[in-house]
Amino acid sequence: MDASLIVYALNLSAIYALMAIGISLLWSSIGMLNMAHGATFAVSGYGALVIGGAVLPTVDALLQGSMLLSYARFVVLLAAGAGVGALCGGVIYLLAFLPIHDKANFAVRGLIVTLAINLATVQGLLWWFGPRQQALPQIFGFGRLEVLGIPLRYDQAATIGATAVLLVAVLAWLKLSRKGLEIRAMMQNPEGAALSGISVRRAAMPVMAITGAMAGAAAVLLSQSVFVSPTAGAMPLIKGMIIALLGGLGSVPGAAIAALLIGVLEAATGAIPFLGQRMVLLVQFGFIILVLIIRPRGIGGLLDETRK
Amino acid sequence: MNEPIAPVLHKVGNRRHEWMLRPEGRKTWQRRRLPLIGRHWLTWRGGHNPRTLERERRLADKRPLWWLVGLAGLVATAPFLSDAMLQIAIVFCVFAAINVIWTLIIGAAGILSLATMATVGLGAYAAAAANVYLGVPWPLMFPVGLLVGLMAGGLLALPSTRIDGLYYALLTIGVAEICRVSISQIRALAPQNSSINNVDSFIPQDWFLQRPGLLLGFASAFVLLLLALLLFRLVNSERLGLQLQAAREDEEFSEAVGIDYKRARLLVFLIASGALGVIGAYYAMLYRSISLNIFSLDQLLLMFAMIVIGGMGRAEGAVIGTAIVVLIDRALIDLGPLRIILIAAVVIIVTLTTHRGLADARSQFRAYRNRIKSERRAARTRKGGEVMPEEATEIADKQLIAYRRFDKRLRDRLKALITPELIEEHRRAPLGPHSDALARVMNYFRRGEMSDKYAILQEGDPGSWTYSVMALSGEPGKPPRVVDDRHYGSRDEAYHAVFLLRVNDLLES
Amino acid sequence: MSAILEIRDLSAGYGALRVLHEINLTVERGERLAIVGLNGHGKTTLFRAITHLVGWQRGSIRFDTHEIGGARSLGEGRRTPGIVRLGVAMTPQGDAIFPGLTVRQHLDCGAWSRRAWRERARRRALIFEMFPPLRKLENTTVGTLSGGERRMVSVGRALMTEARLYLIDEPSLGLAPVISKRVVDALRQIDVRDGAMIIAEQNVSLLDGQVDRMIGMHAGRLRGDVGHVELG
Repeated sequence: MDASLIVYALNLSAIYALMAIGISLLWSSIGMLNMAHGATFAVSGYGALVIGGAVLPTVDALLQGSMLLSYARFVVLLAAGAGVGALCGGVIYLLAFLPIHDKANFAVRGLIVTLAINLATVQGLLWWFGPRQQALPQIFGFGRLEVLGIPLRYDQAATIGATAVLLVAVLAWLKLSRKGLEIRAMMQNPEGAALSGISVRRAAMPVMAITGAMAGAAAVLLSQSVFVSPTAGAMPLIKGMIIALLGGLGSVPGAAIAALLIGVLEAATGAIPFLGQRMVLLVQFGFIILVLIIRPRGIGGLLDETRK
Repeated sequence: MNEPIAPVLHKVGNRRHEWMLRPEGRKTWQRRRLPLIGRHWLTWRGGHNPRTLERERRLADKRPLWWLVGLAGLVATAPFLSDAMLQIAIVFCVFAAINVIWTLIIGAAGILSLATMATVGLGAYAAAAANVYLGVPWPLMFPVGLLVGLMAGGLLALPSTRIDGLYYALLTIGVAEICRVSISQIRALAPQNSSINNVDSFIPQDWFLQRPGLLLGFASAFVLLLLALLLFRLVNSERLGLQLQAAREDEEFSEAVGIDYKRARLLVFLIASGALGVIGAYYAMLYRSISLNIFSLDQLLLMFAMIVIGGMGRAEGAVIGTAIVVLIDRALIDLGPLRIILIAAVVIIVTLTTHRGLADARSQFRAYRNRIKSERRAARTRKGGEVMPEEATEIADKQLIAYRRFDKRLRDRLKALITPELIEEHRRAPLGPHSDALARVMNYFRRGEMSDKYAILQEGDPGSWTYSVMALSGEPGKPPRVVDDRHYGSRDEAYHAVFLLRVNDLLES
Repeated sequence: MSAILEIRDLSAGYGALRVLHEINLTVERGERLAIVGLNGHGKTTLFRAITHLVGWQRGSIRFDTHEIGGARSLGEGRRTPGIVRLGVAMTPQGDAIFPGLTVRQHLDCGAWSRRAWRERARRRALIFEMFPPLRKLENTTVGTLSGGERRMVSVGRALMTEARLYLIDEPSLGLAPVISKRVVDALRQIDVRDGAMIIAEQNVSLLDGQVDRMIGMHAGRLRGDVGHVELG
């Protein structure tokens, strides 16, 4: 495997990790499988497109010719995507979590409601923007830089870098802040959490917003190489979901490792001539089903066992 | 606590309306049974009116009648429908058949599988390819579909034993996508657009999309739906279904009594997959072609919406949900993408408000009403008081009601007798002689139930006995419990302590 | 000095079962109160009604200046965090409430106020002083502790943020007499000058001399108020 393939794999892994960790985090903290993650992804892409279209000319005019221009553009788009994503998370929270979170059968009902939100959102985007694919404004162009002798496209570097920063920030927040502790307490015993002054409804809101923001960021980062379209969310959703499964639903480190594995697998499958791009999904599924049959709790289960 | 009870009238009774026949009491009751399975057509419950002693026969389950009315209405109106409406009716029948079988997988087998449309599509493609490329005549397309469905079911069932619940559901969402990609890869199968056209059919070529063809199509689709319902009934209400129901309620226990529920689950899954394959073959024939659309995620979500709206796990739910979604999706076609949003909104509203879909809404409402009613009743009940009017309708032995009323009045009388002087009298001479009032109270105490009584525990050495009071449990085998940690020096003191406890209980009741 | 807790005509239950029958109870500031009675006579339900964790309830509960009673329209437990944040600390009857967290995380969960969270290290040290055995168990998960240690953790969690009303449910349940004595001694150390503490207990002798007032509870009613039978 040559160096550029590794970079490609890392690039894919980064985006998948953003989606899968969001899904996994939601499951482990509030016990909901968010099928509307794909909708968040698609809406954030359009959000970045619209906001970028409105704001970027001003930014260009302000920072004309400055070194900082492309960074500023990047930050604006990323912030727009993440912001819209967080907003979507809030809407999903209001619709799918708040009314039923302490009712019977929440896991399945939450899954159904978020699926319906996904369906409605995709159709709404189709209706509003039409089926045409659109491209986000290019930020870094097609330039390359060399890191340790490995050629790196600017957008790849930005994706990998931004993802790493985001993930570290989220994990640190979970580890160090009181909210992170509350989330863990909530999952173990909701009644005990209530007696510790932890409101499930209040603690779930930031988690929803943050996972939504992660999906939004993933949308902006992926849109550097893929177009924005109403159905753009389906593939990242399916990939994110199966990676979260492979990681063992609920385990954040498991999801990160699984994202890396799947990214490498995808890059490798695409590179092997007789398999090719179109067989990528098949190979991934085969791999995941195999892993899950051997280890029903995925990589996360494996991690737990070794820890014990 | 002692304020007078205002004469509030509360609504009484919550019996459901039941259809009742009053047959001639002297005739023997002849019940007809269905051939082969030996079940009755309708579940009648026989009995007597306790007051008039007339013979009564109540209909325990009205659902078969609803089914009959619904299905007969569909058949009766079909010939008068316009071509467009007839096509909608055909789609409804086919989708309802698929959903009924799917309900078998989700409800009876308890496997949350979303690979239904994948199985249908594989059956359809295999049958169509067999017909177009191998020249298999159309009646033989059904066994081809069956075989492919069984194979797909077998493959899908493999991971279902290891992976549980939602994990499996997520995994199976991807299966349709895999099928779509793989079939589009096989160039030999489908040259253009990956769809197979010109499939032979039971509808003659020149009737296709004409009135007679549509009528024939509807008739066949209706038969398909009936067959699906029959299969549902045969699997769900016979031995296999009962085994699975037992397993759903308690897996360990059913295993302990010898139910191999895993095998039963797999068997149901296989049967349903085979049936889905057959429906696939039928689908290819009905439209004379099959395209990759059948594998699309949107189609799957639409089918899932039908199941969810109706309620997972019940055949009537599958049919009702299908009717609602098909009507919105096909009849309001002018709305464009808006109608999908409408369907999604219906799904969201139904899921947020009902626990198990529309088919269950009625019983959910009843359960809610009963809960509220019993909470209100509990808030009004005074312990040991009379029977509440709404309770009275549920108590078969009316003598109990009269006794409770008598007991309540007796206690009210006795409460008036209890004064500090009376207690002082008992303290002085627990074993008598007693005044009339004290004797009445003591008599009431003696007559009480075992669970209301106390015992005296004597401990220590002869000469320095200590006594303490214990409460009897009233249940055989359950030992008395110590009431408090007080010890009494003499037996009379202990007697008096018991008396005080009983008086306390009486005043509180 | 006004009462810290005033309960008027509180009835509560689960579905058709009514457990509490029009309870009336006033707790003064600075008071340590014990509610004694047998299993299944409503002590825990009383606590759960104060924190809105029962199936249904009616009646007024006045905590300090806030009315926290009334019939509940939302699901059970929805108002609980708000009530806890008014200053009610309850240790539930069960043992480890978060079996997967370490002792340290468990204690931190109790520090819900901003100030308590900032000072959590100092407060943990105070708890460890109160319960020395916990000090060396700081990083073990609560699920692996013994019953007595768990009870200490549970009580310690309630002490992490200063509350005005402590509801301690069955401090001796399932513990060896020596250990339950230690737990009660620790409860005795808690400063309740501004608030109050209610302990529900079956074992009357354990609380002898440790509380200011004892009330019996029988069949969902408080017995001390009846007058014909005096207890303890």
